[in-house]
Amino acid sequence: MAISENASLRVSRQRESGGELSESPDQQVSLPAKPLIKIRASKRWTALDLREIWTHRELLYFLVLRDLKVRYKQTVLGVSWVVLQPVLMTLVFAVFLGKIARVPSGNVPYVLFLYSGLLPWTFFTNAVSSSSHSLIASAPMITKVYFPRSLVPLAAVLVRLSDFLAASVILFVLMVYYGRAFTSAMLLVPFLILHLTLLALSLGLLFAALNVKYRDIGTVLPVLLQLWLFTSPVIYSTTLVPESWKWVYELNPLSGIISGFRAALLNVGFDWRGLLISLSITLVLLVYATFVFKRMEDEFADIV
Amino acid sequence: MKPIVTVRNLSKTYHIGQLRNSNPSLRDALVGAISSPLSFLRAHRHDNYTRLHALQDVSFDVEPGEVVGIIGRNGAGKSTLLKILARIVKPTSGEVDIYGRVGSLLQVGTGFHPDLTGRENIFLNGAILGMTSTEIRRKFDKIVAFSEVSRFLDTAVKYYSSGMYLRLAFAIAAHLEPEVLLLDEVLAVGDESFQEKCRAKIKSVSRDGRTVLFVSHDMRAIADLCGRVLLIREGRLYEGSDPQSMIAEYLNEVATAEAHQASLLTNTNESVASPSV
Repeated sequence: MAISENASLRVSRQRESGGELSESPDQQVSLPAKPLIKIRASKRWTALDLREIWTHRELLYFLVLRDLKVRYKQTVLGVSWVVLQPVLMTLVFAVFLGKIARVPSGNVPYVLFLYSGLLPWTFFTNAVSSSSHSLIASAPMITKVYFPRSLVPLAAVLVRLSDFLAASVILFVLMVYYGRAFTSAMLLVPFLILHLTLLALSLGLLFAALNVKYRDIGTVLPVLLQLWLFTSPVIYSTTLVPESWKWVYELNPLSGIISGFRAALLNVGFDWRGLLISLSITLVLLVYATFVFKRMEDEFADIV
Repeated sequence: MKPIVTVRNLSKTYHIGQLRNSNPSLRDALVGAISSPLSFLRAHRHDNYTRLHALQDVSFDVEPGEVVGIIGRNGAGKSTLLKILARIVKPTSGEVDIYGRVGSLLQVGTGFHPDLTGRENIFLNGAILGMTSTEIRRKFDKIVAFSEVSRFLDTAVKYYSSGMYLRLAFAIAAHLEPEVLLLDEVLAVGDESFQEKCRAKIKSVSRDGRTVLFVSHDMRAIADLCGRVLLIREGRLYEGSDPQSMIAEYLNEVATAEAHQASLLTNTNESVASPSV
């Protein structure tokens, strides 16, 4: 290409001092000694920057608020869907598994047994699938504004957590209806909810990051989650799992959480070993997921 | 005076192969990982890709209160530079230090949700652009007045005309108060009087001692606003003594390219026409 190289032009290395600045600023700005922002080429492995997430907490709040508001504007039944989803699933399984296949549930009424499993399950499956799609859905934002990218899947998980809390009301109603006693074991429930949230967040971060690069994740995920439902003690009790397979079964971190959730609420024996295995796996997964996320984060805006 | 932005030897390289096939399937990755399990250890994995140097060895300083125009033809690397400064994409090499908060407006209305009302979008978009909710509440009335859409504040923005939508979006961005403001081609919004209002706003931002870096193809706006102009050509940065000469240089570059295009077109037409003669 023949573009004339004007003599007055030069490759600009550094601006000479005392440049011809036509408008000098009226106010003097005092600059900090150290740069607030340092931009460097990406490093290979870095940890998730929690302080950065904390400074952007208001954005997180508005992202959660946006999703909740939009849902109630776009659907006729609004908040009822949040409750209806686990309720309808409970009805379906209660008829087909409870009445027809007669799946045993110990001394707990099967409907209550089901709902106490389907409630955390619904949260888990919705949180994982919506956070996995969240980054792709936010592509316009990611390519135009800076903010910690982890806020997007985190917001998706928090939206589902609020759904879970709303749908918990039905669980309370069922417990009163079936005359279950309220025990001190229930004090464990908040910790189990936190545990479940962290597990959902780990998978959400991992799949969201991978989904940006490999869209196959979006196709595989529904199948994987379906499989996960049947390999977790959601619609049946762990007592149905043969003793010799128990160690494999416990490798599924969800099995410890859901059995624990049910045990804490319905006062049936705790499986501490299973819960501890689940907690360890969850923490390892969380650390792994955050590193993978950070590793891929720098690329998102280039490839999404 | 100490610069507020220092850019040193900044480069950004895209791999064209990677760009073309930006969504490699999981299968490719798995097959690759199985067939050559140690490939990720090799330093230059992208040797088989064609490289595109979006930015090459760019260095400059910006002093507080400057309004710097960045001009260049499409694909020259202007937006890439702004995206790196805005921390949206990472550079391949080089360093940038910024001694202040950065607000960027690379597109008007980023993150607007069509189903939310104007009022709700002000808060959402403000938070996305980096404002705190107290800050947004404090500036709310000013934003509404600037946008001229106060009557439709509680209407979902999907019912807005495109002009109203853009005015509201720009009004929010105009009330960002970072020390460094990055703007990409956002002044082409609304009618003549609104554009005039926007230009006045940018001038007042710089009078407050804040720094503006601003990409545009509108040479009139560049000449009007910028005390300094940087020209980017094929990823390299050029700077002359004064804005006027840079603008002239850019217009000359565009004219040359247009002439080149025109000659290509005539040649093709002739070659197509000749057999029928």
